[in-house]
Amino acid sequence: MAIRWSLLVRRTHKWLALAVGVQALLWTLTGMYMVAVHIDIIHGDNLVRALAEKPFDLSRLAEPSQVVAAAPGASEVRLQRYFGAPVWRAETPGGPYLFDAATARPLPKPNEAHIRALARQIYTGGGQIASVRLLTEAPQEMQSRKPPYWQVEFEGWNRPTLYLSPATGELISRRHALWRVFDFAWMLHIMDYDERTDVNNPLLRIATWSTFAMAAMGAWLLIWSFPRRKRKKA
Amino acid sequence: MKKFRLTPLFFRRVHKWVALILGLQFLLWALSGSVMALLDKDKVGGHGGGMSHAHPLPAGDYAMLAKLPNGEPVHGLVLRDLGARPVFEIHSPKGVELIDATSGEHIRVDQDMAREIASMMNEAPIRSVSVLSKPNLEARDFKGAMWRVDFADDENSSAYVSLDTARFLVMRGDTWRTWDFFWMLHNMDYVNRKSFNHPLIIFVAFGALWLSGTGFYLLFKSFSRADFRWLRRRRKPVVVTRSAG
Repeated sequence: MAIRWSLLVRRTHKWLALAVGVQALLWTLTGMYMVAVHIDIIHGDNLVRALAEKPFDLSRLAEPSQVVAAAPGASEVRLQRYFGAPVWRAETPGGPYLFDAATARPLPKPNEAHIRALARQIYTGGGQIASVRLLTEAPQEMQSRKPPYWQVEFEGWNRPTLYLSPATGELISRRHALWRVFDFAWMLHIMDYDERTDVNNPLLRIATWSTFAMAAMGAWLLIWSFPRRKRKKA
Repeated sequence: MKKFRLTPLFFRRVHKWVALILGLQFLLWALSGSVMALLDKDKVGGHGGGMSHAHPLPAGDYAMLAKLPNGEPVHGLVLRDLGARPVFEIHSPKGVELIDATSGEHIRVDQDMAREIASMMNEAPIRSVSVLSKPNLEARDFKGAMWRVDFADDENSSAYVSLDTARFLVMRGDTWRTWDFFWMLHNMDYVNRKSFNHPLIIFVAFGALWLSGTGFYLLFKSFSRADFRWLRRRRKPVVVTRSAG
């Protein structure tokens, strides 16, 4: 009786493996990549400089109430730096705006030269800027963010790319080759080939449970696989 | 085994032995992956996107900057809303101080305020409120002291509110807690549940690569023409492709 069971399980293990084999291989391959390359490197933490915290001199600043008056609907006004000088950044329903912190006058949006200078200031690497573009359509790698934004590409094997806000020149995001590989691996891992975000898609659910059944049967087969050393090839 | 040869038998042995040593984790990966795929990601929540409501700041009288406490060097200053009233958030090396932007008075984030902020995110009645001096496992993505507000709803939701800034941090419910247990099984970081780049998982993943690699190879050796006869009987010649979907 027991032998019959083992045969049935062996057959099912084999046929399930035929169905999910490629995906199981992809899961281990992509999983290996995702655990081997540290997530901080993937996030590109080493590509950007942390800004030095210099204290602000509050006595030289315009009152934030002036900024609130100048930026109707503002939900938050924040003191930060722009080319080293203090600025008020107002978050409004129409996006963020910068104001000169001393006069509360609105600042013009950064032009391409400003963006180049800001990107250079942020980027830690030594490579030259390869291209600067103002994007109005989101590339695949920025699907989670709404355009427009400046895309600044640097030279280098990993093609580091910074995305800066057209309104404030702030860093929105950074991408590089290892991130792009990770994103592709993630897509293969969760089997959502369009948006790369849906971890509940039916294909994934079927494939994961089938793989679980396949693995569980494989585990059971181990019981028969060791005591008798000599077995005929299946 | 006198001579070492790359025969199907050899790969079958590798498959068996790796499975014996690392098979349990492979099974756990398949199980935890299956469960995470099953748990509704919207109910799990907690990923990306703040859920905070932004109110427009009232135009009008604010405390003058000169009236703000000036003992410490100011590294950051934010004017924002807290419920309906505007507040200043002053960042200094000592931490964050919250000031009423109209009166200039210091604000203490007390239990009542934590309740009020948490209730903006969840309408269920509050079961209990407690204070944490440092983040627990559920609020591990955040720093500093915080309030935990537990709700009496189906999910047993808990809202976390920063003790320093009074900002709503995150909402955790039972679906998230289930998800997080399986996520721990998946990433093998049994203490902090956070890292998936530690030596243990790298080692086991490398082993699992052998398990799946040899298994994949053995597929080609384990099937014969006879296995597919049932397909041919029904239709004209069909090319059988290996599909992983």
